[in-house]
Amino acid sequence: MFMDADSWVVAVNLIIWTGLFLYLLRLRKRLRHVEDDLEKEP
Amino acid sequence: MKTFLAWLLWIWISLVIVGAFFYAPVAENFRVPGSSRIVFFHVPMAWSSFLGFIGAAVWSLRYLLRRDPRHDRAAAVAIQLGLLFGVLATVTGAVWARIEWGAWWNWDPRQTSILASLLFYAAYLALRQSVDDPEKRGRLAAAYAMLGLVVTPFLFWIVPRITFSLHPEPVVNASGKVEMDPRIQHVLYSSGLGFAALFFWVHNLECRIQALSERKSAP
Repeated sequence: MFMDADSWVVAVNLIIWTGLFLYLLRLRKRLRHVEDDLEKEP
Repeated sequence: MKTFLAWLLWIWISLVIVGAFFYAPVAENFRVPGSSRIVFFHVPMAWSSFLGFIGAAVWSLRYLLRRDPRHDRAAAVAIQLGLLFGVLATVTGAVWARIEWGAWWNWDPRQTSILASLLFYAAYLALRQSVDDPEKRGRLAAAYAMLGLVVTPFLFWIVPRITFSLHPEPVVNASGKVEMDPRIQHVLYSSGLGFAALFFWVHNLECRIQALSERKSAP
């Protein structure tokens, strides 16, 4: 399907933003696990 | 940040990206009209940088009052993020300057003042690295960061308004008015809010990472 230049730029920006967002979500989840493990330590 | 709020932020910034290209009109009087869209990303990055530097001064003041290491850590992280957003604003500005003014760097008052503030805060990080005692480091760094309460508004807001600048008119112009198309304002302010939320989210994550790191390295 043909897309104009603006649509391409928007698509690439959305992909980059979504990638960064998912990375932050994953980082938050891993942090929470590490913090929980430390809480359980005697 | 709660998962619901995180996904709200994803939707918010995605709408800003779409709005920047399909809702807001391109500004007039630009050599390359489409280049004006950089305002939706470049300006909020500079605002986030300012937020980081002013936030660091506030956390530093709280550290000096209560001597809580969490405030010292929060100030240091705010400055690291302020530098990150400041560098991003400078780089995106240089790309835009190449397109509109024909050169990456022009020693324009705004370019020069943001460079000066980045150097000022890079020195803050160097200061922190040079002191081993956490208590002494916290006090010195907090005093230095509080100087930013004077330096940062002067460099970010006053210098560009009292000198001739190649830059387009600031959001709030010299006569105290906002003379922008309302649709440009909607996207710009939404982007500013989105970037501020992103700043606080990353700030929270980085503070927690540094707290864990300090706990791990503690004897």
